[in-house]
Amino acid sequence: MKKKVAAKVIAAALTMALAAGTLTGCTFGFASDPDDPNEVKKEVEIDTSTDTFQYDSSLEGTSITLLNSKAEIQVALEKMSAVFEEKSGVHVEVMPVTDGDSPYTKVVSLYNSGNPPTLSILDTTDVIALAEEKAEDLTQEAWTAEAEGYLTKVDGKVYSFPLCIEGRGLIYNKAVIEEALGETFDPASIRTQEDFTALLDRLAAAGIERPVSMAKEDWSLGAHQLQYIYETYDGTSEGAQEIIEQIKSGRLDLASYDRMNEFLNMFDILKEYNVAKGDPLGADYDEMAIDLADGKTAFWFNGNWAWPNLEEAGAETTDEYGFLPYFMNNDEEDFANRMIQGSPSKQIMLDGQIASEQEKAAAKEFLNWIVYSEIGQQMLVKSCSLIPPFKNNPYEPEDPLSRDIYEHVQSGTAFNASAIVPNDHWSVLGAAMQKYLAGRCSREELMQAIEEYWAQQD
Amino acid sequence: MKTKNSGKDFCMFALPGMFCFLAVVIIPFLYGVYLTFTDWNGVSDTKNFIGLKNFAGVISDKQFWSSLLLTFRYVIVVVILVNVLAFAIAYLLTRGIKGQNFFRAGFFTPNLIGGIVLGYIWQFVFSRVFVNIGETTGFSLFEISWLSEPNRAFAALILVSVWQLSGYMILIYVAGFMGLSEDVMEAASIDGASGFAKLKNIVLPLMMSSITICLFLTLSRAFMVYDLNLSLTSGGPYGTTEMAAMHVYEKAFTSRQFGVGQAEALILFIVVACISGLQVYLTKKQEVEA
Repeated sequence: MKKKVAAKVIAAALTMALAAGTLTGCTFGFASDPDDPNEVKKEVEIDTSTDTFQYDSSLEGTSITLLNSKAEIQVALEKMSAVFEEKSGVHVEVMPVTDGDSPYTKVVSLYNSGNPPTLSILDTTDVIALAEEKAEDLTQEAWTAEAEGYLTKVDGKVYSFPLCIEGRGLIYNKAVIEEALGETFDPASIRTQEDFTALLDRLAAAGIERPVSMAKEDWSLGAHQLQYIYETYDGTSEGAQEIIEQIKSGRLDLASYDRMNEFLNMFDILKEYNVAKGDPLGADYDEMAIDLADGKTAFWFNGNWAWPNLEEAGAETTDEYGFLPYFMNNDEEDFANRMIQGSPSKQIMLDGQIASEQEKAAAKEFLNWIVYSEIGQQMLVKSCSLIPPFKNNPYEPEDPLSRDIYEHVQSGTAFNASAIVPNDHWSVLGAAMQKYLAGRCSREELMQAIEEYWAQQD
Repeated sequence: MKTKNSGKDFCMFALPGMFCFLAVVIIPFLYGVYLTFTDWNGVSDTKNFIGLKNFAGVISDKQFWSSLLLTFRYVIVVVILVNVLAFAIAYLLTRGIKGQNFFRAGFFTPNLIGGIVLGYIWQFVFSRVFVNIGETTGFSLFEISWLSEPNRAFAALILVSVWQLSGYMILIYVAGFMGLSEDVMEAASIDGASGFAKLKNIVLPLMMSSITICLFLTLSRAFMVYDLNLSLTSGGPYGTTEMAAMHVYEKAFTSRQFGVGQAEALILFIVVACISGLQVYLTKKQEVEA
């Protein structure tokens, strides 16, 4: 009898240990533990000495909510709201969208429960879907003048506040390239697809056999890579819309569309030099950041949002990382080979349906504060590490990736085009791209999948 | 006395439960059925009646039918494997072998871990641990991640589901075996019944009530699999392991076709309800009293 009890206790203890072991086991094996308690996070200094912003004292005590779908800036946003509350008396509750929930789904369920957030950070397509029915018209706001060229208009009206500019391209690690080649690397010297292939060959000869990392994730393949075929049509959002209309109506045969073929040529180059060439669909996203920081690879196709991953993998803000364009052909004059794509990605929408006038006014003040107050300007750039789309913001981003995009924007070597595509574009065509990446379908089949997808849209 | 009280009793005991059931199951269900006849997009204030258009959308959604077919394949394999395995293990664990309580606890553990977490753990195992083993040993089975090849990804899904579900079923079968009367077994032995004859003619009929429960649970769980599907393969590679439940979610929320998604969910519900109803009816008929 006694023996049985003892056995039971041991069994229970082992069961719990097993469960605990497996539960914590998922962080095992990653290079750096994100929750390392010994890690000292350096605080970004925000100068709060000057503040010439005019606060509306009648709004004191108002409480508004902000739905945040950019998980990496959650902490920074909370800090921003604390400072804003201290200054203005308006409380901004920052609600995160939990992992796995799409921001749109979250906002929709909040609307359906009659309790929508006053402000919500959404993707451009979401704003367009919701704008006319739910959003407050912001066309008359003063900041629209500062964000000229970065505003999203629905029927000629502005319904959203562009929070940041994001850009994408081929991230390079300058130190790795220079070390491998034994000479200084000037990114501006790579101007065509041929230049780029030559560079890859030299890197391969110098020991970095496969210098490119390519995410297998459908959002990367379906949205960030494939959308080049629309966005490089003429480098504008209007142009992207036009080409989409042509594909949709079936007037354009993709096989005869230059950008489609050029894009696939470049994609094939990346595929060929992919570090995970043997099993491209088994590539691990976290590992890509580590590989780039450690010098196992020299390039990673991604955007400036990848900085937190790189930093986690050991990169420092003083390291030299930057972007190369997604080379489309061998024409040095082609803008696609000279410019980086950079456009507003996250938008803040103000609820126009349920929110009271007082709440709307407080929300508008918060947006103005981000644009016009010295503190808001600093916090947007330094605390959130975002690239501001506002001309009057004098601060420069700290991390090398955002800084590179910022410099491209400032020097006019960024093109602002974002294709507005249906919401399942990334997932449906991302799957088609995965198939192509894995070498399980031909170019023709891929193009057919794209044409079929567009034919189904109304 | 009895009749006098029954109204009060009903109100006291059944009404709260009935109310909850109505509020969270029946009403949303009926509302959901109503939504399949409208063009509601999830947010808009107006819902226009569009008749059977959503169902026409379902019929033309090839991906849905292929994911439903895949779900059938998955359900058949999982239900058979889980029940055979659980039955066999439960049989062994009631033979009085050493440490059987420990084994029972051990087999049950995977069930305590939620499907999402479980999926991530196994994702790590399949795409890192196995690949590492493959690299060091040159074993071609593990050379590439199982999750990047459609058939192996499907096998991975089945493996993890069986691993997770069998523990629970073992528990139910163990309870069933414990309830078997020793007298009957002894009588059979005296009559000279062999092991297999005992299993076929005595154990199986007496275990039928456990089998009914286990089959029902595995059937409905396997049909509605979503969490594991999401965290282990998330439908990949390139959408080849997207099960019906996941497709419904994708249709409604990613493609934002609420009506079509809801109609697909309704069809899935009818299929699952019919199949598990039929199963319960058929197995119940086999149940006998000792």
